[in-house]
Amino acid sequence: MSSTVLSLSNVSKRYGDFTAVNRINLSIPKGSVYGFLGPNGAGKTTTIRMILDIIRPDEGEIEVLGCKSAMQVRDRIGYLPEEKGLYKKMKVWAIISYFATLKGIHRKDAKLRAFELLEQYGLKDFANSTVESLSKGMGQKVQVLSSIAHNPELVILDEPFSGLDPVNQEVLEQLIRDLKNNGQTVIFSTHIMQHAERLCERLLLITQGSKVFDGTVDEARAIIPRRVILECQNDVMALADLEGVLSVSETFVGGEGRIPGTRQWELYVKEHTNPQLILQHCFQNGISLSRFDFTQTSLHDVFVHLVGQEAREHNFR
Amino acid sequence: MRVTLLIAWREYLENVKTKGFWIGVLLVPIVFFMIFHISTRLATATPTRYYLLIDQTGQYADSVETAIRREHQRRVMQDFMRYLQENRSDTANLAISNEPANQMDQLLDDFGNDEVAALDDWLSNGGLAFALQMARPYLRPDTPDFEEPRQQFIAAVPPPELDITAPAETIVETLRPFLKGEKRLQVGDNNVSLFALILIPAEVNNDIVRPMAAMGGLPADSGTRGVQYWAGNLTDTRLSNAIQTSINNAIRQQEYIDRNIDVNAVRDVQRTRLPVSRMDPGKVAGDEQVSVADTFRQWAPMGFVYLIFISLMQSVQYLLSNTIEEKSNRIIEVLLASVTPGELMMGKLLGIGATGITTILAWLASFFAFIQLYQTIETTMIVQILDVLLGSDLIPYFVFYYLCCYTLYAGIFLAIGSLCNTLKEAQSLMMPLMMVMMVPILTMSFIAQDPNGTMARVMSWIPLFTPFTMMNRAAAQPPMIDVVGTTVLLVVTTITVLWLSGRVFRQGILRTGQPPRIIELWRMLRRRST
Ligand SMILES: Nc1ncnc2c1ncn2[C@@H]1O[C@H](COP(=O)(O)OP(=O)(O)OP(=O)(O)O)[C@@H](O)[C@H]1O
Ligand SMILES: [Mg+2]
Repeated sequence: MSSTVLSLSNVSKRYGDFTAVNRINLSIPKGSVYGFLGPNGAGKTTTIRMILDIIRPDEGEIEVLGCKSAMQVRDRIGYLPEEKGLYKKMKVWAIISYFATLKGIHRKDAKLRAFELLEQYGLKDFANSTVESLSKGMGQKVQVLSSIAHNPELVILDEPFSGLDPVNQEVLEQLIRDLKNNGQTVIFSTHIMQHAERLCERLLLITQGSKVFDGTVDEARAIIPRRVILECQNDVMALADLEGVLSVSETFVGGEGRIPGTRQWELYVKEHTNPQLILQHCFQNGISLSRFDFTQTSLHDVFVHLVGQEAREHNFR
Repeated sequence: MRVTLLIAWREYLENVKTKGFWIGVLLVPIVFFMIFHISTRLATATPTRYYLLIDQTGQYADSVETAIRREHQRRVMQDFMRYLQENRSDTANLAISNEPANQMDQLLDDFGNDEVAALDDWLSNGGLAFALQMARPYLRPDTPDFEEPRQQFIAAVPPPELDITAPAETIVETLRPFLKGEKRLQVGDNNVSLFALILIPAEVNNDIVRPMAAMGGLPADSGTRGVQYWAGNLTDTRLSNAIQTSINNAIRQQEYIDRNIDVNAVRDVQRTRLPVSRMDPGKVAGDEQVSVADTFRQWAPMGFVYLIFISLMQSVQYLLSNTIEEKSNRIIEVLLASVTPGELMMGKLLGIGATGITTILAWLASFFAFIQLYQTIETTMIVQILDVLLGSDLIPYFVFYYLCCYTLYAGIFLAIGSLCNTLKEAQSLMMPLMMVMMVPILTMSFIAQDPNGTMARVMSWIPLFTPFTMMNRAAAQPPMIDVVGTTVLLVVTTITVLWLSGRVFRQGILRTGQPPRIIELWRMLRRRST
């Protein structure tokens, strides 16, 4: 049964005249990995804080694990805040165990669980060091572990990947997959599209407090047409007449090592267009291609497409 | 509740594990012991002083020397009394409760009541030798020998170059370098410095002031008259006092003889006395006498006020720094996802409260350890005093006022801590409160002197001062209305402050940026939630 773990209806938050979150509706099914995307200042952290009942929405309803307030089910939620911090003087295992006991785990079990997690995610050697002796990234890993030590049904991670090296980013991705396999629901916010692409089933994209997209990754990709990049010596404007091709335009990009006289073209095609048709056409017309690039639309492109203009304006406002 | 206790426990462990905590815990008793040690040492360590007595009349030297001997005997007697109290064997006392034992008790009793009379008895009974002999059977077998205290004042021999019949001015001029410490006197084999010169000029009797003569006004010349006491040290007045009294006694003695008054009759008249017992109206009949312990009990509250204050100061440090650590390290957000701000605040309050109580207990423990180590007369007195304390109602008062005071101020300081991101910001916010806290300390001794006066009563009714002031008044049986009224007011205020602080804490704890201005604070107090 895929029930709803979290639902927001018409949730808004204002700071003075400024609307940080504007009428967001959202529903997250149990067991899914959900990504919160959006430019800086979009309202992701504000939304997450409202979900956790750290701040109250000005209007709208939030239902978490069947309750009106996350406080009532706080033992079933794990949270990694955006700004990470731990008690500097505490030992690594003790801090994981402390947060687990706050969530209702028995002291002994909490300690066992702390060592188990540290071993599982490669921090065994640091179990007895104090937090202040850790690097920032290691501290962050410890904090992630302390937020999941009590096996919460809902895990909310605010920018968990920031500050981690590529190896640890992979470890964290694995951790999120482990959580998912365990039947736990994960919500995380990120600015790194690849992580969202690899991990998420569904995405929420907000900008300036308003939701601009909510759906699966494939649905997101379908928002913008697929793109083909061609490089050749010829003019290929004629490709526009082909079945399924939406537009053709020349892009002027300079670059090292480009063969003189080569021109670069960008074609947008319909979702299910077969790229073979384009190749075939070129071949038949004697156009010799030095590059043929038919990639999947990246989330990055979707992101830029959806919020790029606004985000740029927003940043310079 | 479980969560609150968990937070309190972590907070407590974190404080108690730091080096700073234990340094603080140990420093106070160490300083206390050092002061105690040095002051008792200083009392016995005054050096022997050499004086030079030049009596050109030949009439007074004996009286002065007697007076100085008498002063020495007084000290011998004091020391002996202590020796007796420390070393008497109680079993012997119980077994043979016959005359001499009673006599000894009598001696101790007299000594406590009237030192002057006791000293007379002491001297007329043969002084130390007799007392030692009398006391011997009643001392514990392992008693060490009695050590007679050193003479404090010893007569020196005039330097050979001095003509003691010369005019006073010449003598002073000759001895001036000695008095200034530029030259030293030869006493036996030692070179010693001259402490004082007592010069009784030949014609000193002309300067005797008689009431009848004084009627006509004092002689016009304002030169030095009478006995001259020369000393560089003006703070130690024991010698000059002894001399003044003894010479005047001698003169009066002579006066009686000259006027044909029976000297013995006068002496008896002078010795006639009515003892004045200081009584405390608050005590049950038959138990009214004010003892040393009672006097102490009168002053003990001040000690407790200090204890509350010092412990509060320590707690304030923890309240602020631990709250600010959580804020500046951004631990607060994870915490708030797990606990409510109220639970967090109460947890901190309890944990740091427990830290404060631990400190006080550690101080008490080191205090008792100290008493065990130093078995002297002062510490036996402290033990007696402690008995008195434990039997009195001061301890419950202390516990109550300590807890209220801590809770009241902790609420306020937690609220301040929640509004600040750095200790520096906190310092400017807590400045006014610190000044308020200084008031009871500054007024402490006035209130102890007049515990039911207007100032004491007024300050008792100001909740921020109530714990300090009422603690200070505790031994003086304040009126019932004050006790009950201020207690109710204090408890109500404490609860209100906690509740309001809770509001500020809830809103402040998530704030970043500058501490709020007054107007924002006001809004926070009124708003229910964010
Ligand atoms: N306490 C506050 N007071 C006033 N404005 C606030 C407050 N908190 C957030 N905002 C504003 O709300 C908007 C949304 O902030 P939020 O932290 O939710 O953004 P975000 O999506 O998490 O951004 P980022 O990717 O940079 O973390 C921002 O414009 C911010 O300035
Ligand atoms: Mg954010």
